[in-house]
Amino acid sequence: MPGHPAGDYRRLRRSLVLRMALVSVIPLLVVSAANSWLFFRLNRAIVVDQHALSLRHQREALEQFLAAREAELRAITERYTVAELRGGELDRVFRVIRQQPEVLSDIGVIDSRGDHVQYVGPFDLAGRNYRDAPWFAEVVERGVYVSDVFLGYRGVPHFVIAVLRREAGDFWILRATVSADYFERLVNVSRSGRTGETFIVNEAGLYQTKGAHGRLLEPAGLGKPAWHEGTRVGEEEIGGTRYLVTTTWLGHPRWLLVYRQELGDVFAPLFDASLLGIGIWLLGAVGAVVLALAVARRQVRRIRQADQEKDAMAQRLVATGRVAAVGEMSAGLAHEINNPLATIDTLRTWIQDLGGARSIPEEDRQEILESAGKIGEQVARCKVITQGLLKFSRRVDAQPERIDVEAFLGELCAVARARARVDGVALDTEFDKLPPFECTPAHLQQIVMNVVNNALDATAGRPGARVVVSSRLEGGRVVLRVRDNGPGIPRENLTRIFQPFFTTKPVGRGTGLGLAICYGLVQELGGTIAVDSAAGGGTTFTIALPQRAPDAGRSTP
Amino acid sequence: MTGLCVLLVDDEREFTTALTKVLRRRGFEVTVAEGGEAALERIAERSFDAVVLDVKMPGRDGLDVLSEIKQRSPATEVILLTGHRSVVDERDGLRTGAAAYLLKPHPIPDLVARIEAAAVRSRAARGGGGA
Ligand SMILES: Nc1ncnc2c1ncn2[C@@H]1O[C@H](COP(=O)(O)OP(=O)(O)OP(=O)(O)O)[C@@H](O)[C@H]1O
Ligand SMILES: [Mg+2]
Repeated sequence: MPGHPAGDYRRLRRSLVLRMALVSVIPLLVVSAANSWLFFRLNRAIVVDQHALSLRHQREALEQFLAAREAELRAITERYTVAELRGGELDRVFRVIRQQPEVLSDIGVIDSRGDHVQYVGPFDLAGRNYRDAPWFAEVVERGVYVSDVFLGYRGVPHFVIAVLRREAGDFWILRATVSADYFERLVNVSRSGRTGETFIVNEAGLYQTKGAHGRLLEPAGLGKPAWHEGTRVGEEEIGGTRYLVTTTWLGHPRWLLVYRQELGDVFAPLFDASLLGIGIWLLGAVGAVVLALAVARRQVRRIRQADQEKDAMAQRLVATGRVAAVGEMSAGLAHEINNPLATIDTLRTWIQDLGGARSIPEEDRQEILESAGKIGEQVARCKVITQGLLKFSRRVDAQPERIDVEAFLGELCAVARARARVDGVALDTEFDKLPPFECTPAHLQQIVMNVVNNALDATAGRPGARVVVSSRLEGGRVVLRVRDNGPGIPRENLTRIFQPFFTTKPVGRGTGLGLAICYGLVQELGGTIAVDSAAGGGTTFTIALPQRAPDAGRSTP
Repeated sequence: MTGLCVLLVDDEREFTTALTKVLRRRGFEVTVAEGGEAALERIAERSFDAVVLDVKMPGRDGLDVLSEIKQRSPATEVILLTGHRSVVDERDGLRTGAAAYLLKPHPIPDLVARIEAAAVRSRAARGGGGA
């Protein structure tokens, strides 16, 4: 007996799901977003630091390498005189210091006039004059010189380290060539990811080592790099691709050590992690929604069940306790009222008798007779009530009989149809063929007529008014249904309609005993009566009776 | 034919008083008893054409008195008049020989008509003679 329309519950469930999903998904979203953002920033900071640190280490390594080469050359100049070197010592010395053949490719001695006076190496460079080469001036001025990478006479990329030695008022220069190949390998050791590369550019921005993709002595896409202290990290766009560029200047020579990696590559692991994060988040969100759905469904089912139980309980309480009590009481009440009513009615007759006397003036006689008539009407009205009360009382004693439900209901409906026609209500029947069942005809008639009359009252005069009386066998019980398309019963009245004297009909039209009587009688017959109605949605009364009447033992007083 | 003799048995004195007036005006000869015992005493004293008997009374109740009357003088017609309808009472009353089982307040014209019919029948059964 759902007192609430199903739509109420659907709406309740929808709003519950929505709320619970929002409540769980929104914090999840906020936390995840905050997490990702923090994670991203932290990660970027770590990556940047890492790049800076490793580049600084590399710079130190390179500086040490260059310093070591310079120190070697200087040591030689201090150990040997120019005469000794020219006398054949250079050969021996070179064999010692070149160590691995790749590091130094040649060595030579240049005198103060710029003549290459002694040379050990694969090329034929002896006798060349460097007096006008810019490096010659610089080494004379500063005592030491490291060149940029250049092709020189030999057409092979290399750079030179030269140190000046003053000896007996003159000077000479020891100059060694560092193989570009070896230096290249030394520089481009730390590669990471797909696109990471380390290389060196000179002050003009030209590749000194070619890294992974560059070409020696060509512009590296960094313009003319400006001097800066320490290590600098920044993003740069080169040819439509964004790079993370880490740079640090070597002290001497003025070379810029560059570590360059595509941004996408740098943060690829981060993006992978984010993807995983989003996946997990989505999973969480879906989980939250599914959970919300499940919980909401259960909650609504519980609420619905509680509502139903409450309704049912209310009805049972009303029905069992109060109806029975009121039943007993009303029987006594009816008796107490019927006696005075009988006296009143008899006295009314007496007044009428006397009122006709000639001795009374004509007008008064009319008045008296009229008043006596009115008293009679009021007595009749009271009598309707008291007789209703008596019917309602449980002291009913008729004997059960075997009843052909179809025929029985058919007759009742034929009677009711006469009234229905006047009210403009279509009264239809849907009777299943049922085996005869045992019941007290008087009771059954009273029950059916009360319910049918209510349905007719509810639908009378409404457009399309229709009442359907049906009977069928359900689970071994005879189930009678009276369905109407009237205005329905408001929820707050549902528990009260079975109470005696509850009526919404105007005074004189309804006593409010109809359903109370039905309830009592249905109980008497061992059955149940239930109502299914929503305001505006029509009403169905369902009466279920056992096929065999219960023992009629209590009917004897 | 002399006036029909009616015995009214009811503990509701106002009711019997009123009904007595109404019946007397219509030519009945009316005697009143206020309970079962009194009723049986009156019946022992003389015979009545009809008895109007309340079912629920203190002391001997209506059905009890009914069977007593029917034993002593089966021809006397009895109308049961009660404020408390009971199907069992109705069945038992009619079986014991009551002419009618009526529920208060019963319309007076009909009541009078039934009393008269019963009294006439009773007198006819006893051979048209009064007491
Ligand atoms: N089919 C129905 N549709 C709408 N309301 C109904 C229907 N049946 C009963 N009711 C409501 O229940 C109330 C109680 O019904 P019940 O039969 O007990 O008394 P009543 O019809 O008002 O008076 P009575 O039957 O004694 O003449 C009615 O007044 C009405 O408000
Ligand atoms: Mg009704």
